[in-house]
Amino acid sequence: MKFAIALFAPPHAPSSRRALRFAEAVLAGGHEINRLFFYQDGVHNASGSIVTPQDELDLPAQWRAFVERHKLDAVVCIAAALRRGVLDAQEAQRYGRTAIAVTPPWELSGLGQLHEAAQQADRLVCFGGV
Amino acid sequence: MAKAMLIVSRHSPWSGLGAREALDIALAGGAFELPIGMLFLDDGVFQLLPGQQPAAVEQKDLAANLQALPLFGVDDLYVCRQSLRLRGLDGQPLALPATPLEGPELADLFDRYDLVITL
Amino acid sequence: MTTLHLLSQSPFTSPLDSTLRPLGVRDGLLLCGDACHALQPGSAPLEMLEHLPASVAVHALEEDLQARNLAAPERVQVVDYPGFVELCTRYDKVNGWL
Repeated sequence: MKFAIALFAPPHAPSSRRALRFAEAVLAGGHEINRLFFYQDGVHNASGSIVTPQDELDLPAQWRAFVERHKLDAVVCIAAALRRGVLDAQEAQRYGRTAIAVTPPWELSGLGQLHEAAQQADRLVCFGGV
Repeated sequence: MAKAMLIVSRHSPWSGLGAREALDIALAGGAFELPIGMLFLDDGVFQLLPGQQPAAVEQKDLAANLQALPLFGVDDLYVCRQSLRLRGLDGQPLALPATPLEGPELADLFDRYDLVITL
Repeated sequence: MTTLHLLSQSPFTSPLDSTLRPLGVRDGLLLCGDACHALQPGSAPLEMLEHLPASVAVHALEEDLQARNLAAPERVQVVDYPGFVELCTRYDKVNGWL
């Protein structure tokens, strides 16, 4: 089956880790992930600016490794990201900001990408809250 | 045929971005001409009350965006009657023509949609 | 269309009744995170869950029970992540109560 996975919670929320372990189990079970979509505070999971204490789980790093290993389509909602200061080089330049938090393979794009993924997948699974 | 998505909005307009970001999903879906429904549940019903003055707390008016829903083809609007009742709002005029639904009707509503996003 | 409902908030801060209101008789529940505290014996949320129609399957995520030192009552099926994925395929759609 084809899964679209959406994440609405920041890295420090347990649902963020749950989403990652779920996504890993989806692929391990022989299914496919057509897109990861990070919305609301979920955009922080794509941030390269987060420094996690050494003895704690580094979720942004784990998400990045997961996306790179499986060459996944990983989209961060641009409107949600701008509000939260999670910018890529292009947006940082456009708005005259110094901090670049998002680099490939993450891509900033619109909510249309969430709808497209949901339309094309067999299942949409959203993680958020706590 | 496109799948129909139900968006369940549970946040008051005064509690941060939840209400606005739920609405944005609905408007984006409408812009792509997808079949979208919206259910206002729990504190989400506060979004529907007329006469609110967001300028008093230096906030942008969510009501204007809510009014845009029909313009984006999002006409299937529902409100949980029990949520209204618990807040003393049952029978009060609402700013949008949302159909009030009781418990079993809510289950039927969920049943009719292919996709659900709750925010 | 059946729905698998994912619950992750504590039933003591996010009451179960609005979550259970749209529940269809063929729907399923998966408790994860602090929603697992609903399985505490003698608690009001467990009482509510036990009154659900027998056709509603209730599941709980194993790691969250372990972390909280909770045991699953008889009607609750415990799943791991592969089981979670399998559950998603068994219902027509998945709704996460955020």
